[in-house]
Amino acid sequence: MATPDAHVKPPGLAHARRTLHPAAWWAWAAGLAAAAIETTNPVLLLLIAAVVVYVVATRRSTAPWSRSLVVFMRLGLVVIVIRVVVQVLFGYRLAGHVLFALPQVSLPSWAAGVSIGGPITAESLLQAGCEGLRLAVVLLAFGAANSLASPYRLLRCLPAVLYEAGVAVTVALTYAPELVTTIGQVRAARRLRGRPTRGLAGLRGMAVPVLEGALDRSLELASSMDSRGYGRRSSETTTRRWATLATGVGAVLVLVGVYDVLSASAPWWVGIAALVAGVGSLACGVTLSGRRTTRTRYRPDRWQGAEWLVVVSGAAVVTAFSIAGALGIDGLQVSFYPLGLPPVPYLPCLGILLALAPSLVSPTGMSRRGDPAVPATRRRDVATSVESR
Amino acid sequence: MIRFDGVSFTYTGAEMPTLRDVDLEIPEGELCVVVGTTGSGKSTLLRAMNGLVPHATGGRLAGDVRVAGRSTRAHPPRDLADLIGLVGQDPSASFVTDAVEDELVYTMENLGVAPAAMRRRVEDTLDLLGLHELRGRSLRSLSGGQQQRVAIGAVLTAAPRALVLDEPTSALDPAAAEEVLASLSRLVHDVGLTVVIAEHRLERVLPFADRVLLVPGDGAHLRVGSPEEVMVDSPVAPPLVELARVAGWHPMPLSVRDARRVAVPLRVRLSSATHDAHGPPSSATRSTVASLSRVSFAYDEVLALRDVDLSFLAGEIVALMGRNGSGKSTLLELLAGARRPSGGSVQVRGEEPATLSSKRLVKSVGLVPQDPQLLLYGETVADECATSDRESGLAAGTTRGVLDELMAGMPADRHPRDLSEGQRLALALSVVLAHDPPLLLLDEPTRGFDYPSKARLEGILAGLAARGTSVVVATHDVELVARVAHRAVLLADGDVVGDGAARDVICHSPVFAPQVAKVLAPDPWLTVDEVRRALTRTDDLVGRS
Amino acid sequence: MRAASRRVAVRLTMRASVLLGAASIVGLAAFGWPLLIHARAGANVAHAADAPWIFVALIPLLLAIVLGEIAEGSLDAKAVALLGILAACCAALRVPSPGVAGLEPMFFLLICSGRVLGRGFGFVLGATALFASSLITGGVGPWLPFQMLGAAWLGFGAGCLPRAIGRREIAILAAYAVVASLLYGALLNLWFWPFGAGTTTSFSYLPGGGLLENLHRFVFFDLTTSLGFDIPRAVTNAVLIVALGRPVLGALRRASRRAVFDPVVAFDDAAPTSSADL
Repeated sequence: MATPDAHVKPPGLAHARRTLHPAAWWAWAAGLAAAAIETTNPVLLLLIAAVVVYVVATRRSTAPWSRSLVVFMRLGLVVIVIRVVVQVLFGYRLAGHVLFALPQVSLPSWAAGVSIGGPITAESLLQAGCEGLRLAVVLLAFGAANSLASPYRLLRCLPAVLYEAGVAVTVALTYAPELVTTIGQVRAARRLRGRPTRGLAGLRGMAVPVLEGALDRSLELASSMDSRGYGRRSSETTTRRWATLATGVGAVLVLVGVYDVLSASAPWWVGIAALVAGVGSLACGVTLSGRRTTRTRYRPDRWQGAEWLVVVSGAAVVTAFSIAGALGIDGLQVSFYPLGLPPVPYLPCLGILLALAPSLVSPTGMSRRGDPAVPATRRRDVATSVESR
Repeated sequence: MIRFDGVSFTYTGAEMPTLRDVDLEIPEGELCVVVGTTGSGKSTLLRAMNGLVPHATGGRLAGDVRVAGRSTRAHPPRDLADLIGLVGQDPSASFVTDAVEDELVYTMENLGVAPAAMRRRVEDTLDLLGLHELRGRSLRSLSGGQQQRVAIGAVLTAAPRALVLDEPTSALDPAAAEEVLASLSRLVHDVGLTVVIAEHRLERVLPFADRVLLVPGDGAHLRVGSPEEVMVDSPVAPPLVELARVAGWHPMPLSVRDARRVAVPLRVRLSSATHDAHGPPSSATRSTVASLSRVSFAYDEVLALRDVDLSFLAGEIVALMGRNGSGKSTLLELLAGARRPSGGSVQVRGEEPATLSSKRLVKSVGLVPQDPQLLLYGETVADECATSDRESGLAAGTTRGVLDELMAGMPADRHPRDLSEGQRLALALSVVLAHDPPLLLLDEPTRGFDYPSKARLEGILAGLAARGTSVVVATHDVELVARVAHRAVLLADGDVVGDGAARDVICHSPVFAPQVAKVLAPDPWLTVDEVRRALTRTDDLVGRS
Repeated sequence: MRAASRRVAVRLTMRASVLLGAASIVGLAAFGWPLLIHARAGANVAHAADAPWIFVALIPLLLAIVLGEIAEGSLDAKAVALLGILAACCAALRVPSPGVAGLEPMFFLLICSGRVLGRGFGFVLGATALFASSLITGGVGPWLPFQMLGAAWLGFGAGCLPRAIGRREIAILAAYAVVASLLYGALLNLWFWPFGAGTTTSFSYLPGGGLLENLHRFVFFDLTTSLGFDIPRAVTNAVLIVALGRPVLGALRRASRRAVFDPVVAFDDAAPTSSADL
């Protein structure tokens, strides 16, 4: 399949290779995560994990955030281990194939209902392992989104109403690496002055100059932002009035909805309806408030055919799972009582395989801009910056 | 273009107005240089032009500032961003984003420029400032000069009609400063932008200034005039102007080229004069404090120093010169024991500094880094001195004593960050010198200094050398070298390519020669003072004979 | 200039306060739904399973509304710059302890900043700092909105502490650090509990179990799984406040004084000549 953007290349764009819109990756990953939540079938879960890992392996860049998947994978393993250990120590004791037995401890009366130890069955371990696996796969899907979507570009997709907060986060992302350099400089300077760099005294001596430098920096930055037009807004009041209205109505509806859902004082659909209407109203408020800004975007990330395909492939997985659930197809939720191999439902499997589509349709390519940190050159940068000082 | 009508400004809580009764008109397309010492109110004046004063700082403004007819009373800085751009000292502190192209468009996005126009302006700006090869780079990976050019580009993309620069080169080394000033002169000459610039390196900007604005400080009235007029008795003047005053040239030459044309009689008068004896007493009487023998150093695979042999004598001031990346800082770090050589040996007082414990190290070497603030973390000057004594186990009052010797009358209750550059360096120096190390290393100490602060530092260094301290200064500042260094060591690409008396090493180099030497070449004169003394001597001779 | 130093960096307007209140109520429900949900509704398993996901969608939206509203009125360039730089510092403090749990010494700086710069600033800083550090460490997930809300509350609370100076101030802040970090840990645990503890242990969430039963189970879950992280984190932050509180508060106060938030600007209309005579 040809990359769809090949023929809509705008004139003058020298670097035609582009990467997928970060929001598309997030939508795709959310689809997979939502599907994983629906099932405890280890076959389906492992299949989802395999698809996620494969797509990340074929599509990730060399940027530092592309290593997120590994971190999330480790986190997922920890979650599985914790879940199994908790089951071993505190699990319900149901009948089954006993693997081994721990001495049972009876807790005092205030801890009634909690028992520690006892016979451990294969069924309970498998069940706990699958529940842990489900959580780990959900984590893995988010890890994939973190690996594939550039945080810098994600930041550029924030709604206009969050512009100010977005600028603050941009500043934070810009300054954080510099902060690391400053800490190194302060440490070196302290050593030269014969001062400790460890312990509480060292910490104090390091923290203060670093913080003072950072704070001074913020003042200079503020005057630069001020003189560069930060904070210009149109003074249009009609939109603002509508935005206030939508936000207010939305907030009230959400409060009512939350109360209804939690208290069960009305039929269940009333609460849900209020929530949905409230969310819609709030979203209107966000959009309308954002419309008051006069800002424009330079070369915004475009949403094209590939993005749609990736989103659809993610949505296909959830849809397949929902249909399977609605049809009552066996195998989404597995029980190990009695012990046995889990069934393999074909429809969800097919859906999961559709999520492989991004590895075919998404454009590969170096990011053009907004992804400044490239690890390969970083060491060199540091070396030269040290040298130029 | 920019008009001040009876402007006075007082900061909230201040007793005296910082600006008093300023009337000023800067016409379209002019380059106006603002001259004054640190703390004279230059920055306040510049910031009043785009409304940061008083909108961001607070305070009381009388009179009216107008930019292209728009008054700063009614318009905060953000509403003036399309008329006037402001560039500060430290480019990296002004960056909001971390990529070149994002930074260039930031102002335009705020102003709501149409996407197609943005695209065009970015390309224009990239070409105008020679940044097209850097467009995809991260800002952190750029050199200082490149960063400052991006900072200028970032305000230029808004297509302002005036550009205000507050000491745009004071945080840069000379090569980078040169690069930035060259870009600026291009903007003035080719684009016809109105530019107002405050700058310490007057020798660089005066040749193409249309007008000079002298801010005397202490609330005295501003003086405005052509560079030739104002420079006749400006308290702040480059060496060239001082030479012209000594020689009595009129009209005042502002470039080396103009000066050489009128300098022939002076050269003749000086041809019979003798140079000052410039250097420490002969090396035989002086002991070696530090030495490097066949020292090499490599970062990863990059060789920063190659087989360097050098020695530093007591009472000698040695200048380390060379372009960025030539190995100056590495050499200092090796001497200070912050790094171990990859080959060869470094000796300070017969010991390897890298092997010493930090307690012993501070007693044999003192290093003042480029940013002296890194050494300071007290809340007041007094606190800083007391902490220094306590942490280093010195008698109470030692550091303060050293400080008073270096610079008397430093306010004890001031926060170190609120000191001027010169005062801050003196404080950091006293913290280092409290241990009385025989070897003192300074890395680029005069960055951001005005002429009086430089003169004071020169006095301090000469005093230290007279007491027998061996002083090594890594610097780009040729005038500093010309005035205090006994010896100059020239590094290039990790090699020592020149080592000898400062006069011999720098005078005939087109890059490192000070202005006086350039004007009076081929005779190796270094400083205005030297010329003045020589002239007095010859005049005396003529008078006696 | 004592008056200037008492000005807050971010002023909360009436509208912003109301929205913040509403969002906080929903936020509490989002964290505490397993405990708050009525037994009848809770027992409807299919329905109860929807609750967490509704909140995952709802909280970011509400946070966006609140942050947008706060920003609209009073987030000027100085506040945003300070916010960004402090968020970077917080993130740097969080980096050595990545992942969902960890020591998170960032609370220490967050508390000091909220204390000095006011509760509005504390709220926004909590949210942006968490967001920025998640972007830096690549830890964006469904938990992020909840962490942001929790940290925002923590910063807000620090701005609400009673006036005090000297050692008393440090003591109050340190005590607050302990309480607030334990609460933060418990809240996030509460959010994670229905997913993390499965259904087959004696401290799993029991749909329809009622408040007391589930609270009992949750406390056990919290004690056994997370207090090992939460207590060291609380202690670390308190120790940092005791050790570094004074200079850090001093630095922040000095910065806020120099920034001149909400500056007093006066224009003299007097003729220029007369003003020169002053």
